[in-house]
Amino acid sequence: MSDPVLLINVILLVIAIMTAIAAMWTRDLLGAVMLMGIYSLLLAVEWANLFAMDVSYTEAAVGAGAATILLLTALTRTGTREKEGPNFHPTALLTVLVTGAVLIYGTADMPRFGDPDAPATVNVAPEYIAQNVGKVDAGADGPENDFGDHVPNAVTAVLASYRGYDTMFETAVIFTAGVCVILILRPLASSARRKTAQSQEDA
Amino acid sequence: MNSVELITALLILGGAFLALIRAVKGPTVYDRVLAVNVFGTKTVILLALLGYIGNRSGFLDIAVLYALVNFLGTVALLRFVESRRFFQ
Amino acid sequence: MMEILEYVANGLMLLGGFFAFSGSLGILRMPDFYSRLHPAGTADTLGQLLVFSGLALKIIVISLADEAAIDGLSIGKLIAISLLLFVTTPASTHAISRAAHLRGVEPWTGDPEREGTDE
Repeated sequence: MSDPVLLINVILLVIAIMTAIAAMWTRDLLGAVMLMGIYSLLLAVEWANLFAMDVSYTEAAVGAGAATILLLTALTRTGTREKEGPNFHPTALLTVLVTGAVLIYGTADMPRFGDPDAPATVNVAPEYIAQNVGKVDAGADGPENDFGDHVPNAVTAVLASYRGYDTMFETAVIFTAGVCVILILRPLASSARRKTAQSQEDA
Repeated sequence: MNSVELITALLILGGAFLALIRAVKGPTVYDRVLAVNVFGTKTVILLALLGYIGNRSGFLDIAVLYALVNFLGTVALLRFVESRRFFQ
Repeated sequence: MMEILEYVANGLMLLGGFFAFSGSLGILRMPDFYSRLHPAGTADTLGQLLVFSGLALKIIVISLADEAAIDGLSIGKLIAISLLLFVTTPASTHAISRAAHLRGVEPWTGDPEREGTDE
């Protein structure tokens, strides 16, 4: 425990687990939504501690911001109290335990953290660092190449060449998701506006 | 060497934990909103301290984002509690 | 001179941590909602101000001691976060208290029958 960041990591994770248990245990759904917001904040600090800055940004903006508002919008359609009933589901517990055991078993095959001989660092990464992507031999009297015979940026090379299809369909998925959100939320907005207009007419 | 920052970070973590207890207990909705707001402030301070301990200035960008998200989240929660709907 | 400044920075940070912790303790221990607003609004604002000024002072002191260039961007970000929290924390506390008041949450007036709104 001499490492201060490790100590803080352990405390953060313990508090995160306690928050998750409290969120499951409470019957007040509004309180559960707020506890999930706190849980997201804790996880985002944890991601930042693990130097995963992009994940941390996403967790803060989506987990604590957008997901909270989404859940609250869902709560406007339902009640804010959970139905009384049994709190313990043996099947669900068994599923979660088996999945967790399989995941922990899977980590045994992972290379050591920061291993220079790990498959991720010896396979294609040197190619991209050496900026060999997109190199074409146009011949002596071929056309002039704008990029100096290679893709000049390693990130661009990975995104647009190595996982080009991935990036393309990711964009399509995000576009579809945006269209769906607009289609779902628009009737809500217009019906609410109509209701307000009606009440103004009545008054 | 970093013991002062560590003690401050631990104090703030303890404060965050106390706010969490209030968020779980909080008899009224407003107690919970207040506790979540305080928890967010503590998280921002904690991120800045961790960035200093680990000597990474990238933490500060996340801290700015948190300060904004925290305020917006509080206002959104209050609007929900007030009107029970978002679209007026 | 440098040592004094470093002690000042450490003291500011520890004091800020103390205020942040005692603010949360107040939120947990105070008897009813309106009295809980007080530690949340004031102690937290002062605590973050002290911690951030301590951090900024420490960055300046360390770069002066190493005769390195002062990291102006980090200090600017620290000041920006501090100012942002300085505005938003009281504003959100005010918004919460106003919403509770409009909803008709009764303040505790020392009636021993109902010890605050705590269950």
